[in-house]
Amino acid sequence: MATRSVSPGGALLRASRMFAMPEPIPPPPLEGAAGSYFNSNTATIAFPTHQAITTLSSSRKLGDWGLKRPLPLKSTTKSSNPMLRIKAIDTIEQITDYSSATDHGITLRKFQELGIPVTARRPAGGDRPESTTQMNLPQMSVFEDALDATDIHPDKRAELVDSRWKFTGPWLAGMTQGEFNKWLSKEVRPKRPAFRQFLKKKIASELHAAAAKDALDKGQEQPSIIDPSSVTEDQLVDYLRKLRHNNQALYDMVGQFLDLAPLMPPNLAQTGLPKEKVSELQFNEVKTPYAERGPPITHPSAGLSYLRTSMYMENHPIYGPQKHHAPVVGRIVRPRRQAQALAARIGVAGFIVNTAMGDTRFNARIGGNAAFDKIDPAIEGGAKVWVQPQRAAVDSVGCMVLSVNEPTQEATLVAQELLGNAVCLGAEPAEDEMSRRETASDLRRRYRAPDSPTMSSAQDYGLRE
Amino acid sequence: MSCRQWLSSAVRQCQSSLAQHQQPRAFSTTPVVAVRDIFSDGPSKPVMRPKGLRSSSDSNPNEALHGLLTAGMERGGPLSMEEQRRVMEQHGTQAHIKDMRQNLTTESYVRQMPRRWRTGEVYSPRDMKPAEMSKWRQGRPPNKDMVDILGFSPLDNYRNFSLISEFMTPMGRIRHSTDTGLRPVNQRKIAKAVRRAIGMGLHPSVHRHPEILRLRRHGMPTAAIPTPADPSQNRL
Repeated sequence: MATRSVSPGGALLRASRMFAMPEPIPPPPLEGAAGSYFNSNTATIAFPTHQAITTLSSSRKLGDWGLKRPLPLKSTTKSSNPMLRIKAIDTIEQITDYSSATDHGITLRKFQELGIPVTARRPAGGDRPESTTQMNLPQMSVFEDALDATDIHPDKRAELVDSRWKFTGPWLAGMTQGEFNKWLSKEVRPKRPAFRQFLKKKIASELHAAAAKDALDKGQEQPSIIDPSSVTEDQLVDYLRKLRHNNQALYDMVGQFLDLAPLMPPNLAQTGLPKEKVSELQFNEVKTPYAERGPPITHPSAGLSYLRTSMYMENHPIYGPQKHHAPVVGRIVRPRRQAQALAARIGVAGFIVNTAMGDTRFNARIGGNAAFDKIDPAIEGGAKVWVQPQRAAVDSVGCMVLSVNEPTQEATLVAQELLGNAVCLGAEPAEDEMSRRETASDLRRRYRAPDSPTMSSAQDYGLRE
Repeated sequence: MSCRQWLSSAVRQCQSSLAQHQQPRAFSTTPVVAVRDIFSDGPSKPVMRPKGLRSSSDSNPNEALHGLLTAGMERGGPLSMEEQRRVMEQHGTQAHIKDMRQNLTTESYVRQMPRRWRTGEVYSPRDMKPAEMSKWRQGRPPNKDMVDILGFSPLDNYRNFSLISEFMTPMGRIRHSTDTGLRPVNQRKIAKAVRRAIGMGLHPSVHRHPEILRLRRHGMPTAAIPTPADPSQNRL
C-alpha cells in the first residue's frame, strides 16, 4: 500500500500543531456523591480530556509553543513544569485559549514513580461468582493477551467476548430504566428484520453442520453450504420458539447481534421471578473481569502505566534486596468524621485511594490515630502518612482506583532513611549540604578576603592595626 | 525530679487561675472551671482530702490545688501519694482540654472543606484552595431530567407521596423547573400529578405529608422508587 503523496504545503500543515492536536475526549460525568448535587465545574477532573503540550525552554522564553501566535510570557514562563492544554487554537476573539495542564501531567509523573502495574480483577470460578468482589484475589495485568484482544476479525468477535474490553453495544446492567427504554425504541426495534436475517444465517450454519456430521458418519460426500435465504419462515419461527425457552442461548444470540458487553448472571433476588422459574434458568460461566462493573471506557490501562507485573524486587545499596516495595507518603486529604460515618480520605500521587479494609491503622478507632481524626494546622503542608501501594485498576467511568495498605515498619524505616529522616542500624544521618544551617561565623569565614597582598583592605591603608 | 516537674507546672497553672479569680465563677474562662461546669451534671462526689486543707477548696478545683500546693510548700517536703494523685487528676483534665481544643480546631477546618472526596478522584493543589472548596458548599439543582432517566410515568405515581413531596416546597407550592431540572413535558406531568394528589385529598397542600414527617422524625429514609412502566410494554 503506497502512501498518498502530499503537497509540500499539506505536509507542512500536517506536521504543525494545528493538525497534530487530537480532538478532546468527553469529560467524566459531573456528579457528586449519589443522590446529591454538590459539584464544581472547575475542579480537577478524574482524567484529562485534552492533550498536554510542552515546549523547549528557549522557545518558551519567546512564547513559542508551536501555535498560531506566541503565548503571553507572564503566565507561561513562571512554571517549572511547562505543560499547557490548548482548548482552542484560535477563537473568534482571536485569542488562543489555553490553561495549565500541570495538574494531570504531574499526577501522571507521580503515578509512574509508584512503579505499579494497572491490573484487572480476575474473576473467580463460575461456582463462586460472588468472590469476584474480593479484592484480594491475584490480579492480572491488563496487557495480558487473555484480557487485551484489540485486533479482532469481525467473525471472531463472539468467540473473543471474554478477552475484549471494547463493545459497540451497551452494558445493560449500567443503564437506567429510562435509558433502557429509549435504547430499545431507538436502537433495537429498527433492527428486527436484521435480527431475523442473523438468525437465518445461524439456522443455515447449524443445519449445514448437522448435515456435514451426518454425511461424515455415513461416509458420504460433504453437502454443499446452505444458503440462508433458503431457510423458510416456519423454520425460523420454530427456532425462535426454541430460543425463548433457553435463556442462555437467547442471550448469546442477542448479545452477539447487538455486541452487548458481558453481564454477570443475576441472583435469585435480582431476577424478580418465582423460585421454580429461576431454577430453570441456565447461565454460562463468565470469564471476563468487566461483567460485574462494566467495561472500561478506554483501554483498561488508561495509558497510565505500561508495566506488566509488580513481581520485582527493589535493591537497597546497603541492605540489599528488599522484601517489600518502597512505601510512599500519602496525604490525609480529609480526616475521618465519625459522626457522619465518613472514613479518612487519603491521597497518594494525586489520586484519592482506597484504603485497606479490616484491622489496619486506617480503620482503628483508638490508639495513636490522631493524624486520621484531627487536623493539626501546625503541621507544615498537612498531615502525611506512609502507605504501601498495592494495586491499581481503572473503573468503568475511567477513574484510577488505587488500593493502598499499611506498610511494614522496616520498609517505612528504610524509606525514611533514604530521605534522610530516620536512622537505621545506628548509622549517622547524612548531613545535607542544602539543609545544613550556616552560622554567622561560617558565613564570615566563607566570605572573608583571603590573606593575599593583592586585595586591598583597611589594614593596607593603615586605618587599622 | 518528677515531683519538681509537677510542682512547677501546678504552680504555673495556679498562677494563671489566680490572675482570673476576679471573674464570677459561672462565666469563668479558666479552662478547668469551664470544663468542670460543662461536665459536672450530678452532684460532685465527696473527695477524700488530707487534713489541713481549706474547706473552700471543694468549690473550685484550682483553689483546691493551690491550697494543696501551699500546704505542701509550708510543710516543706515532697507531695504525698494522695496529693500526687490529685495533681495527676488535674493533668488529666489538661489533656482533656487539649483534646477538646484539637477537636474544635478540626471541626472549624473541616467546615472549610466541604468536599467529600471519592475514591479515584484526582486532586491538585488548586482543589484545596478556599475558592475551589467553597463551590462544593452550595448544592445545585440537577441538570438531568430524572423522569427521563428513571423512565416512569408521573401521572401513574400520583399516590406516591414521597415522590410528590420531592417536587413540592415545604409551603406546598410546586417546585419550578429550574429547581427540579425537568424538561417542560415532564415538568407539566409532574405538576399535574401534584395537583391531582392534592385535589384528591391524598397529599396536604400546605406542608409535607404527615407520613414523611414521621419518617423524618425517626431518621428513616423517605425516598421510594417510583413504579416503572408496565414490563409488558418493553417486549420486543
